Amino acid sequence: MAALIHLENLTKHYQMGETMVRALDGVELQIQPGEFVAITGASGSGKSTMMHLLGCLDRPTTGAYWLDGELVSAMTDRQLAVIRNRKIGFVFQTFNLIQRTSALDNVSIPLFYARVTRVAELARRALDRVGLGPRASHAPSELSGGECQRVAIARAIVNEPKIILADEPTGNLDTRTGKQIMDIFHELHQSGVTIIVVTHEMSVALQAERIIRMRDGKIVEDRPVDRAEKTRGEEATEPATPDREPSPPMARRAKV
Amino acid sequence: MFFFRIMIMSFRSLWVHPLRSVLATLGVIIGVAAVVAAMAILEGMSARFATGFESMGSNKLYIMPAVQRRGHRTVGVFDSLKLADADAILKECNAIRTAIPQVMNAGLVKYFSKNTNASILGSTEQYCKVNSHEVAEGEFINRSDVQTGASVAVLGANVKRELFGGRPALGERIKITGAMGARGFTVIGVMEAKGNVAFTDVDKQIIVPVTTAMDKLYGLKAVSAIVAEAVSPDDAKIDEAKAQIKKLLRARHKIRAGKPDDFQVQAQKEFVKQFAMFQNIFGVVLWSIAGISLVVGGIGIMNIMLVAVTERTREIGVRMAMGAQRIDVMQQFLIEASVVSFLGGALGVLMGWGMAGMIENLTRLFETITTAWAVAMALGMATFTGIISGLYPAWKASRLDPVEALRYE
Ligand SMILES: Nc1ncnc2c1ncn2[C@@H]1O[C@H](COP(=O)(O)OP(=O)(O)OP(=O)(O)O)[C@@H](O)[C@H]1O
Ligand SMILES: [Mg+2]
Repeated sequence: MAALIHLENLTKHYQMGETMVRALDGVELQIQPGEFVAITGASGSGKSTMMHLLGCLDRPTTGAYWLDGELVSAMTDRQLAVIRNRKIGFVFQTFNLIQRTSALDNVSIPLFYARVTRVAELARRALDRVGLGPRASHAPSELSGGECQRVAIARAIVNEPKIILADEPTGNLDTRTGKQIMDIFHELHQSGVTIIVVTHEMSVALQAERIIRMRDGKIVEDRPVDRAEKTRGEEATEPATPDREPSPPMARRAKV
Repeated sequence: MFFFRIMIMSFRSLWVHPLRSVLATLGVIIGVAAVVAAMAILEGMSARFATGFESMGSNKLYIMPAVQRRGHRTVGVFDSLKLADADAILKECNAIRTAIPQVMNAGLVKYFSKNTNASILGSTEQYCKVNSHEVAEGEFINRSDVQTGASVAVLGANVKRELFGGRPALGERIKITGAMGARGFTVIGVMEAKGNVAFTDVDKQIIVPVTTAMDKLYGLKAVSAIVAEAVSPDDAKIDEAKAQIKKLLRARHKIRAGKPDDFQVQAQKEFVKQFAMFQNIFGVVLWSIAGISLVVGGIGIMNIMLVAVTERTREIGVRMAMGAQRIDVMQQFLIEASVVSFLGGALGVLMGWGMAGMIENLTRLFETITTAWAVAMALGMATFTGIISGLYPAWKASRLDPVEALRYE
């Protein structure tokens, strides 16, 4: 299986009293190594659920998930933790840094669970990659939002994972800072890392190579982004209106 | 290395709420302090008694005047025991092989310009044998010294050193001031050093003939005690000896049937038994206090750890997302719990040690002994409490669902 990610008829159901929520409802998806994918969709469409499954934080109700040739949907908690540690880097909307410990310590966490030596050296190198080497000893409360997110990215890449999963990474940042973050993702993408970003900002989604749109737990659209569209996306300064049906004009135009 | 990093991590998270950490460990602190202090006292007392009793044969009996009461008040002791009683006991009680009359008093001793306070023990030539305490130089008082009331003295090792330093003492004249004024004595011997024997520093003693002490120094008509030895340390023989002494002394003191004794007879063995019983009761009380306060301490620690787990739900989620195994999370919180507990224990040890020292200074009865073993045990107990009470919170943390934990506000 050449695909890095291969989902087959994946479902995730939540039983809420009498009703059953189908957060994911028969998803089929393949992502190749080195792709830069954006997942969009209205609120409640199942993006985060998808992210959690892709990130091996959760197990599907039914269906199969192969990651890098391994059937992770059948793995134990212990094996999943190892996969998360080695193959996946998470970036969250709210940064999720551990307060009161330095940037360096935050970045060290994945190394720590990987039981590697040379922790400080590797963590510092990761911070250098996001341009925060000089802030290594600062606590998150002493850093700006953008800097926090860069620390979080350093933490995500420190174990050199194959995949970066980012759920609304720019959601808490202003447009300019958001762009800085996306630039870092671009650089990482250039160096061969597979990047999957969940966003409902069209300007962010358009910076990816491929857009997947979800609705009601299903993939309703999966298409590449062409160059002209991309340029427009990069020029856009205003965040796009939240994605609703019918699709916003920009997306509809792109379909044609 | 891994363990060390977790330790650092837990120090950090405890330092975030220093006051809360201290309050949570109050139970452990108090429990450990109580244990350490009590053990130091018990140890000190045992040491005192042990050095006293092992050198004194267990066939000994102490005959002392009874406590005199008026109503419920103690007004003193009877002047009931006479020198002749000791002779009579030796002669008439066949279960007794020795009986030494003794008087014990404080006296000021003077040698030219040197002064010192010493306890003056009036005894007989039998003293050495009964107390297994020998002269180091010169000779001990003999039978005729006792009979004639000779003014001779045998110095304890420390008294000799204080008065004479390194110079010879034998044959020198010293002055002892008792209740009847100062009197000259000739030093005829110096005892070997022996240290404390059952709460008395025998090296600070001067031994003189009992008759001399009574007639010439203190003007006493009665002795303070008669130390007797039974022919054998068997319980049966000791009881027989006690019965014989009681019968004899009641007759000699003309006490009518139904009236209480004006003396008391205590076997050495009973002291030892009483002390052992005291030690056991003390031990039970001690361990109950320790147990209760560690349970209370454990609850405190469990409580603070549960709060910590709730507060740090998101952190746990993040750690899991970064690849922490459930066992890693469990370990982190367990180590944290035992670190708090251990630190509480360390504070407790310091407090207990201080308390023991204070008690020592206040009572001045014995030295307290804080052994490394007691400290190690107290710390071990504290850490154990931490691990046990951290178990449930740590387990709870480790069972969190990563997705739920990450979403926790
Ligand atoms: N733990 C859960 N229990 C019950 N229902 C859940 C749970 N998690 C998600 N859902 C439901 O699944 C659906 C998809 O949720 P999800 O969080 O994936 O949406 P989303 O696309 O990320 O939305 P948003 O853009 O608002 O973040 C929603 O209807 C949500 O209510
Ligand atoms: Mg979401």
